[in-house]
Amino acid sequence: MISVCSIDDIPEGEAFRFNADVPIAVFNTGDALYAIDDTCTHQDASLADGWVEDGCVECPLHAACFDLSTGMPSGPPAKKAVRTHQVIVSDRTVYVAINETPAELPVGEEIGVA
Amino acid sequence: MTASTALPSSLIATLPGYSYTESETFALEQARILEQYWFCAIRSADLPNPGSFRNVQVGRESVLVVRGRDKKLRAFLNVCRHRGAKLCTEESGEVRRSLQCPYHAWTYGLDGKLVAAPNLSSMADIDRTEFGLIGVHLREWLGYAWVCLAEEPPSFSETVMGAVAERMGDENAVEEWHIEDLALGKRITYDVAANWKLIIENFMECYHCATIHPELTEVLPEFADGYAAQYYVGHGAEFGEEVGGFTVDGSEGFDRLTDVGEDHDRRYYAITVNPQVFLNLVPDHVILHRMFPVSVDRTIVECDWLYDRSVVDSGTDLSASFELFHRVNQQDFDACERCQPTMSSRAYGNGGVLVPSEHHIGAFHEWVNKQLAG
Repeated sequence: MISVCSIDDIPEGEAFRFNADVPIAVFNTGDALYAIDDTCTHQDASLADGWVEDGCVECPLHAACFDLSTGMPSGPPAKKAVRTHQVIVSDRTVYVAINETPAELPVGEEIGVA
Repeated sequence: MTASTALPSSLIATLPGYSYTESETFALEQARILEQYWFCAIRSADLPNPGSFRNVQVGRESVLVVRGRDKKLRAFLNVCRHRGAKLCTEESGEVRRSLQCPYHAWTYGLDGKLVAAPNLSSMADIDRTEFGLIGVHLREWLGYAWVCLAEEPPSFSETVMGAVAERMGDENAVEEWHIEDLALGKRITYDVAANWKLIIENFMECYHCATIHPELTEVLPEFADGYAAQYYVGHGAEFGEEVGGFTVDGSEGFDRLTDVGEDHDRRYYAITVNPQVFLNLVPDHVILHRMFPVSVDRTIVECDWLYDRSVVDSGTDLSASFELFHRVNQQDFDACERCQPTMSSRAYGNGGVLVPSEHHIGAFHEWVNKQLAG
């Protein structure tokens, strides 16, 4: 379990990006907080810079859409899902429990933290 | 006749012929005039929604005007900061969320900030504002977005509002038309094979009116004397006694716009705002020309006819109304196109002459020369 940020650091419709084994982003849809791997599985772009709508995040580069609760892409150009992670809020602090399965990265990218 | 021959006092000299034909002169005009003054780029209502955009050529630059998510209009140089590709290649349209370069997908927000790029998250030292689109000054007035490419723009109130006030002889007169609230009834774009200065000079004088503008002279009989409204300050050319309105056949126009005063009724006012706007005011509508000089011998002119919103919404036939100035435009631009090819003749090497009813064009020539002298 990682202590990530204060809940006040993630306004509605925004995301907070942090580095774990790979970059992870916590999104606030207004209804709930969701954590997914931050890197689009199509090309290296930060999903935290994308647009949140209807429980999905749209990648800012090529409009791949990922379901924030399942990590599944809704269609091309992304084919692989991003990992999802459990989010817990306690005393206004946001905690993320990292999913232990290996991350899916875009073709040609190696695991490494920027 | 040689260059040294003194002119009779009735005449003053025009600019020399090369001023209208040499690309070096045009390049200097782009740098020192078109890129230095406020330039009326687009009608604000043409970009109704967040993401609506249009590109216009201002001087040598492609300028992108876009409406942001906050509903504000902004202008940027239409060039990707990465490798310099033209960002928006379509002349106009609407993007959903962002402006994306079609080359490497550098992606900018509607506020110009760099939002995303491939591998950007592993280049933490890139400042997204510093590598955002380059902003261009923008100001809205009369329902139009005016842009200025100069780092330090000249005073808008002096160079734009002041030019209107000076011709009208009253700084508040133009407000009676509430141009920003009018609706677009008709737009015609003219692709004119002539230098932009020929078009301005033509608009400023009326010595040609009785010869090439039969319909206009019918409506404004005083134009047959050759003195343009712009020869005077605060003078509107009066409609003929038998004339019903500012229409192609002299038939009735529409109701006088609500706040246009009696003293401006049944009159035509014409104003030039250097370097590229003509404003024409009649009691029931406004005609606004925007010129886009694209090369030394080509100018695109976009002409808007603006009416009270209720007139446009009613679906009334506007054709008798806009047809009058459409004909005037065609007649004027034909005349300018007749002059352009002969500007390089040795007959016009030293230029031509201005008769007394055209002498006020000399002030425009002085203005141009002053800008080019630096």
